[in-house]
Amino acid sequence: MDTTTATTPMNLENSPAFTFTASTFQKLHPIEYFRKFVSQGVRPDGRLLNGFRPTTVHVGVITTANGSAMVRLGGTTVVCGIKAEVAEPKLDSPDQGYLVPNVDLSPMCSSAFRPGPPGEQAQVVSDAINRVLKESKVLDLKDLCIEEGKAVWTLWVDIVCVSYDGNIYDAALASVMAALANVRIRNPSYAGGIIKVAGGEAISDENSFRLKLNRTPLSSSFALFDTSLTLLADPNFAEESISQGQISITIDEHDELCAVSKIGAGSSSQALLRQCVDRARERSKELRAIMSAQ
Amino acid sequence: MSRPDRSRTSAHQLRPFFSSQNLLNRADGSAQFDFGGSSVMCSVVGPAEVRIRDEKLDRATIEVVARPLVGIPSIKEKAREQNIRETLEPLILSGLHPRTGIQIVVQTMKDDGCILSTAFNATIMALMDAGIPLKSILGSVTCMVDEKTNQIWLDPTTEELAQAKSAHVFVFDNKSSITSASAGAQGKDADVDMDQDTVGAAILFSDSTGLFTEEQYFECAQICFKAAQAIHGFIRTAIAKKLEKEYQQTHA
Repeated sequence: MDTTTATTPMNLENSPAFTFTASTFQKLHPIEYFRKFVSQGVRPDGRLLNGFRPTTVHVGVITTANGSAMVRLGGTTVVCGIKAEVAEPKLDSPDQGYLVPNVDLSPMCSSAFRPGPPGEQAQVVSDAINRVLKESKVLDLKDLCIEEGKAVWTLWVDIVCVSYDGNIYDAALASVMAALANVRIRNPSYAGGIIKVAGGEAISDENSFRLKLNRTPLSSSFALFDTSLTLLADPNFAEESISQGQISITIDEHDELCAVSKIGAGSSSQALLRQCVDRARERSKELRAIMSAQ
Repeated sequence: MSRPDRSRTSAHQLRPFFSSQNLLNRADGSAQFDFGGSSVMCSVVGPAEVRIRDEKLDRATIEVVARPLVGIPSIKEKAREQNIRETLEPLILSGLHPRTGIQIVVQTMKDDGCILSTAFNATIMALMDAGIPLKSILGSVTCMVDEKTNQIWLDPTTEELAQAKSAHVFVFDNKSSITSASAGAQGKDADVDMDQDTVGAAILFSDSTGLFTEEQYFECAQICFKAAQAIHGFIRTAIAKKLEKEYQQTHA
């Protein structure tokens, strides 16, 4: 003990008056810490500024669902399960089924979320996915009709976040699209007011049908960092919390845009948005390749 | 060059817009903004006391509550709340009122399309009415691309939106456009002058859905940017008139 106390003042003489480790600096000044990395063109996790995190897609992960997929985007993991249920159609659209996406961000996936009714972010992401699916006409709801005015399919699209590390919208939308492509529904029969869906024998191409997807929109999100509005592709949780704003570009395989959203501080110039669109185009191609490799 | 809305002759014409401020007695600031048949009322209370859970040590907490025309708020309203809050939070100099709360309530009064844009414009006028310090003002305009003709229609009605291939909401602040704002100062029924200098429109908020190309998107941005100049000019005139009136009343 004596020796250590004796040597401490000597060490201090050689070092600057006040220092702390990188991890302490990160906690005290998260923005300044981040800025130091960005000025060198990298991010603390080793990615380049326009780099996306490693992505994996698995389909058919839930055997009891009609369609399912799991998407991992770095530390963000999202599971999507689709369950088909017979329901009565609305009076003003007797030949259209329902497609109901719902995002669940439970306290299980991050301490940022509280238990109880869905928080604002969960609702906003649900709404964004719902709008992309409807407005971009991903699925013709008439394909979900069993008997006009009597019975239609309802697709409950449940998206559960298992681990949250930012960019939930990209991960959720990718999982929904992978799960929709994976959906298989048994052929129903309608006779005398009764719907029969045969069970029992193994599901095959004869006794079931798949959904016809018109397009596969996939999104790429970017965080705007600092007043210089540096673009950070695929922001993680830490980057999201210090970002000035976000840009999300949703693009389909025919190179048509399905949604563009820019939110937050800082007016972004058109050049910046074009840059995002270009990067989103590349990224959605990569993601499509990952999804089709399944 | 015809559109379903018979009252307008041009595709790039806004509906007559109008606003009134200080309508509510019990709020610190309020305003109503109308785009033709769409109307949104906005009230602002604050800086006032805030729940301890929401208190921020270095700035004011901004809370936005959106109310629908009928029924109880759904996730659509939640998304609208987030859009308005995230756009206004950086605009409000909230550092001047630490540990307080500013509550903004946005109530739809009449819905004939473009509610988000109308809400943005109503909110900024209500904030000014409440005397909340702001960095800049904003103006919002919606446009759509027609499914059949691929024409861009500015400020569409509900009837027109039903045949939209894509719809685009834009918000522009007046920092990037302060010089050209005076050109379109006449608010009523402003037909947007397409010959104005093409200033690189810096987009503060954008929300687009549907199916569209990159070129269509930026064309829409440019058209909305020009239209937003008319909104900025209008807000400027409205505030100037209001201040003039107040001055006359207090010095009469």
